[in-house]
Amino acid sequence: MTRLPLLYKTFTVLAIGLVLAPFACTRPDDSYHSPAEEWLSGGQQTVYDEGSNAYSHIFPVLAENFERVHEVGDAQFGATFVSPPAALNPGRGPIFNNVSCSSCHISDGRGKIPGAGDSSISTLFRISLAGTNEFGGPRPVPGYGDQLQNRANYNTVKEADVFVQYEEKTFSFADGATYNLRFPTYRIANAYTALPADVLLSARVATPVFGLGLLAAISEADVLARADENDGDGDGISGRPNQVWDVKKQAAVLGRFGWKANQPSLLQQIAMAYNQDMGVTTSLFPVENCAGQPQDDHRGDDPELSDSLLYANEFYIRTLAVPARRNLTDPQVQAGKQLFNSSGCSKCHIPDQRTAPDMSFPAISNQLIHPYTDLLLHDMGAELGDGRPDFKAGGTEWRTAPLWGIGLTQKVNGHSNFLHDGRARSLIEAVMWHGGEAASAKEKVRTMTAAERAALVKFLESL
Amino acid sequence: MTMKFRLTAMLFLAAAAGFSGCSKDDDTPVDTETLKKDILVNVSTNVITASYTDMHNKATALANAVAALESTTNDANLAAAQKAWKDMRVVWEQTEAWLYGPVSSEDIDPRIDTWPVDFNALDDQLAGGNDFTADYIDGLPEDLKGFHPIEYLLWGKEGNKTAASFTAREKAYLQALTDNLVALSKQVDDAWKGGYATLFATAGQSGNSTYPSLQSAYLEMIAGMADICEEVANGKMKDPFDAQDPTQEESPFAKNSIVDFTNNIQGILKVYQGDYSQNGVGLEDLVRTYNLSLDAELKTAHAAAIAALQAISVPFGQAISSQQSQVQTAMDKINALHTVLDGPLKSFVLQYVK
Repeated sequence: MTRLPLLYKTFTVLAIGLVLAPFACTRPDDSYHSPAEEWLSGGQQTVYDEGSNAYSHIFPVLAENFERVHEVGDAQFGATFVSPPAALNPGRGPIFNNVSCSSCHISDGRGKIPGAGDSSISTLFRISLAGTNEFGGPRPVPGYGDQLQNRANYNTVKEADVFVQYEEKTFSFADGATYNLRFPTYRIANAYTALPADVLLSARVATPVFGLGLLAAISEADVLARADENDGDGDGISGRPNQVWDVKKQAAVLGRFGWKANQPSLLQQIAMAYNQDMGVTTSLFPVENCAGQPQDDHRGDDPELSDSLLYANEFYIRTLAVPARRNLTDPQVQAGKQLFNSSGCSKCHIPDQRTAPDMSFPAISNQLIHPYTDLLLHDMGAELGDGRPDFKAGGTEWRTAPLWGIGLTQKVNGHSNFLHDGRARSLIEAVMWHGGEAASAKEKVRTMTAAERAALVKFLESL
Repeated sequence: MTMKFRLTAMLFLAAAAGFSGCSKDDDTPVDTETLKKDILVNVSTNVITASYTDMHNKATALANAVAALESTTNDANLAAAQKAWKDMRVVWEQTEAWLYGPVSSEDIDPRIDTWPVDFNALDDQLAGGNDFTADYIDGLPEDLKGFHPIEYLLWGKEGNKTAASFTAREKAYLQALTDNLVALSKQVDDAWKGGYATLFATAGQSGNSTYPSLQSAYLEMIAGMADICEEVANGKMKDPFDAQDPTQEESPFAKNSIVDFTNNIQGILKVYQGDYSQNGVGLEDLVRTYNLSLDAELKTAHAAAIAALQAISVPFGQAISSQQSQVQTAMDKINALHTVLDGPLKSFVLQYVK
């Protein structure tokens, strides 16, 4: 081998560097970030508030001219809709679940579940029949659609009520300590017309709405890169993406939002909620949720909400900041973090994500964030399953729930009910409900000492 | 006494003298660690819980006044019911300076105080034949119950209701709505008495995961005070003002909006001073221990906000067109108060309360 001249060597190094540089930018090595960044759950869009309003803050880094749009959207999020015709906020119903966004997403947080014997307020019920609709989504129930509306405007009949009952079962940790889980069963009552016996029913608690703009900003490639549908790496975890119908694009695209990742975008999630939960039509969903049913008012006033208000609401949610971590340096929290990782929780509850570069909206561009989700679907076992498919999501599959801000739930929402139907009454119960792909991680928690379990919970509370 | 001791004693005296200039009522140095806890105990018990008990009592008085109006429908009883509504309104609006805990997490606020009123749906209710049972009222949408439908029934759309014009359906609906208000205000009162007051007062003690530090409870207090400024200036006032739309006003039928806003801002001082129905320790006592000028700055800003609201001399729905500069000034002064609360006062708490 001949000795290359020094200049040539330098050029080679530079050339390799130039080739590698773009890779370094698109996929930065997150192991290099400073420990200080771990406090910043939402990157630059992190707020320091551990009070009752922790979920309700505007992005701290946002051009001033955007603030007014956020405020308009905030008012829209809180606006109580009334039955038409009316001067202000008309268009509710004829059948609906609730009257405003904020009456389910209380303080921009997690909905309350109905007590035993109560009809539902901030939990709703999706229904469908086996099979799919023309877009690969759930097959609607004739006379009902795919969501039960349990309230109605005056002189209109609601679709049905759903009541919940719980059965307590006792389980043991390996050290002999016991824990209880409550198994819900649902009963449909007061149905306005007969429901088929084989109707599939799924309870859905209103999810927190902060930080969603950042989740929307994670590139599709990054989400798909973590998918491992056939468990090629043999770690027992096989996350897969949902693929759902985008009504604006008129195409099947990656699903990101909702308990089963069944909505592709914030805009569609919000427009769907207006339509199904409140009975308010928009340009995305201009047909009333009760079209073709006897409840239809045939007013011909659709869409009932203007695009400017719909988009303002979307902007409001897009720009809700994430609360910062607390007690990060507490030794117990540190120990809990190690246990979280070593038990395998972090294989799906991915701590570090980076939002894609976005020159059109620098506020969310290229941020290191800590949402603790991979946005993928995972089999969580039959006991947690709802048996109701939703696009690609099977009856036992759920999207990994983001864990950021979860430690403030008690403070903001006054309860600690977790999972899609709020069946878990504490963080540890939520952990112990995991099954399916998470069974081995759950088993590791089950065999922990009491001190280790306490540390794990303390860590979760610091999120 | 050795020289050294004497020197220490003199230093102590000097320190005590220094403190005396700052302490509020007497010349003894203040034990601020105890004071910080005492403030939380007093605020949670004698301000917040007391206010909800007061509200529950005022709700009962309103329901009784409505019952009297129902049995003897004359203008005197109507005036008495209207007064009872306004009396309860004073308390509720003040409590909006502490909208945390059960009133928000149990979703009480929207069920008590949603506006505007859904006229059409309300008229449908009156025209219909449903019994106004407690369960039926519970199931109604938020805009058909609480303060503002009651206000609509008591004053009428034009604010000129007379006893003679009441229908039996109106009276039955009115009674059911006020009973519902009694139940909801009892629910908040019970929730504070039944545990939340203790939770708030024991912030920072082991096992309190809701308020893991004293500071977290203090920040909650300050956020409550700041948020109501934000809500009044940039929501309640700004939305109807910007839209030039009097139908968006909070209490249009009773023409009570300015009184509402004023009581919102008054609530801030109640919690700051720790004085509701009786005098007690509040944030004021801690602030005055360390920073008299901050105390003065806050009180000046507060007085300016109240004065600016008082300067609006016509009902708010008119003022948004006929007294625009007064309305703008009031919003500015309330925002200025917000700046003091969210800026220097918050920094103070971050520095002195851990």
